[in-house]
Amino acid sequence: MGAVSAVVGVGHTRYGRLPEFDAYELGLWALKDALADAGLRFGDIDGLIVNRIPDYQRFCEIAGISPDYVNITPGQGRFSGIDIETAAALIRDGLASTVALVYGNNGRSAGDRYGGAGDTYGSGGAGNWFPYGMTSPGAFHALMARRHMELYGTTPDHLGTVSKTFRDHAVLNPSAVMRNPFTLADYHASRYICEPLHLLDYCLINDGGVALILTSAERARDLKQPPVYVRGYGMATTLAGSMFPPDDFWRTSMRKAGAKSFRMAGVTPADISTLMIYDNFTPTVLFSLEGYGYCGEGESGPFVAEGHLALGARYPTNTSGGHLSESYMQGWALNLEAVLQVRGACGERQVKDCALAHYMAAAPVVTSIIYGKEPS
Amino acid sequence: MRPLPQTDGPDRPFWQALRRREVQVQRCRSCGMHRFPATRYCAHCRSDESEWVAVAPSGTLETWCVFHRPYFEGLPVPYTVIQVKLDCGVRVFANPAGVENGALRIGMPVDAVFEDVAPDVTLLMFKPKDR
Repeated sequence: MGAVSAVVGVGHTRYGRLPEFDAYELGLWALKDALADAGLRFGDIDGLIVNRIPDYQRFCEIAGISPDYVNITPGQGRFSGIDIETAAALIRDGLASTVALVYGNNGRSAGDRYGGAGDTYGSGGAGNWFPYGMTSPGAFHALMARRHMELYGTTPDHLGTVSKTFRDHAVLNPSAVMRNPFTLADYHASRYICEPLHLLDYCLINDGGVALILTSAERARDLKQPPVYVRGYGMATTLAGSMFPPDDFWRTSMRKAGAKSFRMAGVTPADISTLMIYDNFTPTVLFSLEGYGYCGEGESGPFVAEGHLALGARYPTNTSGGHLSESYMQGWALNLEAVLQVRGACGERQVKDCALAHYMAAAPVVTSIIYGKEPS
Repeated sequence: MRPLPQTDGPDRPFWQALRRREVQVQRCRSCGMHRFPATRYCAHCRSDESEWVAVAPSGTLETWCVFHRPYFEGLPVPYTVIQVKLDCGVRVFANPAGVENGALRIGMPVDAVFEDVAPDVTLLMFKPKDR
């Protein structure tokens, strides 16, 4: 059976500091851009999911739309994958035919902080540990990185290679916020935030918006852009006990979500052309490569050191620069990049013969989405 | 002054026990599973019958990290946060006591250290188990 839905429009704002825009306006900017890209009108949208935008009703008022289906999801990066998978399911089940996914984030201008008093990362239980100074998603990932290093011999060089590789890609992306290349020596010289993680292991907090338009595979063929089919998707969670890092680096749930998506798409990791990996911090890239079957358990460090993630290599990864160097759009811009790569619209950073792109995330909720140029 | 815990909330027995140099956590009366922080229902069997019990003040070091960016007034950097699994199965974040970072090893057995940080607040920290 072929793919049921496809991405037919993508849009985004500038990324960086945009203090004159709120989250609603950033979302609407991106949505206008995505509709223009798709050759569709506001009236064509009959399904809407907003993410990180505070209120769906207000957004619809501002946009002047009354979709049949509407939903809103919290401003956590895991929801980009969830929303895309939900949109595909809505289309499959006929609840909506054209779904707009709209993300607006004014976190930089609003002064959002990840860590310290007010930190609610994960289950919201963070405050219990403030007396010991434990706080922030970065520290959570630093704890996981240290454990990975001790168990498998992963090195700071391996993490640095991830960061450097994505920066090299960002150099080729006019939308990226950080475009100055750096060396591994620069990486090691950058200050520690939470050891073993350096500043260059952390994503960039910025303002911006992204929108995606999905519709049925059948309708997609009549639209302006070449359809990018949603070939397979899967999701799984590790939420019980999630106040603490998981023993298995989320591997069990990634295997489950990955298997679902590969089975639905009828492909294997060997068929994939490019990877888009949720890189809030460099260690999640290593965990993802192991969890989704691109290398064996504990082998991600050496795998990265062999250079496989670079443009021109076997699995060019985060060709936009990702969250580390393009902008932290919480998974949305990585999905947008996956679509552009499959379209063949990435210019200087285009992956050759890009037939299949795989978006994946490692987190308490994991999502795996496979995009393809062909429906089956 | 470092951030202080809320000692008069649902976790009050835990904080009171630390004052007495004792580690207490909640235990499910139905399935026997230990838990902390306090919750009404057991996440294992969902029973709401529980009691606070003293547990062995020892555990295993699972991982650690070193903060170089300050997040809290009164906690000067660098400082180290450790993750410990108590022998009763409950996990906690804490600070190491009397041990250099270079000596920390995953799987290292550790013993509780009771650190008075305010007139009515004692924190649970850990040192390597005496050989």
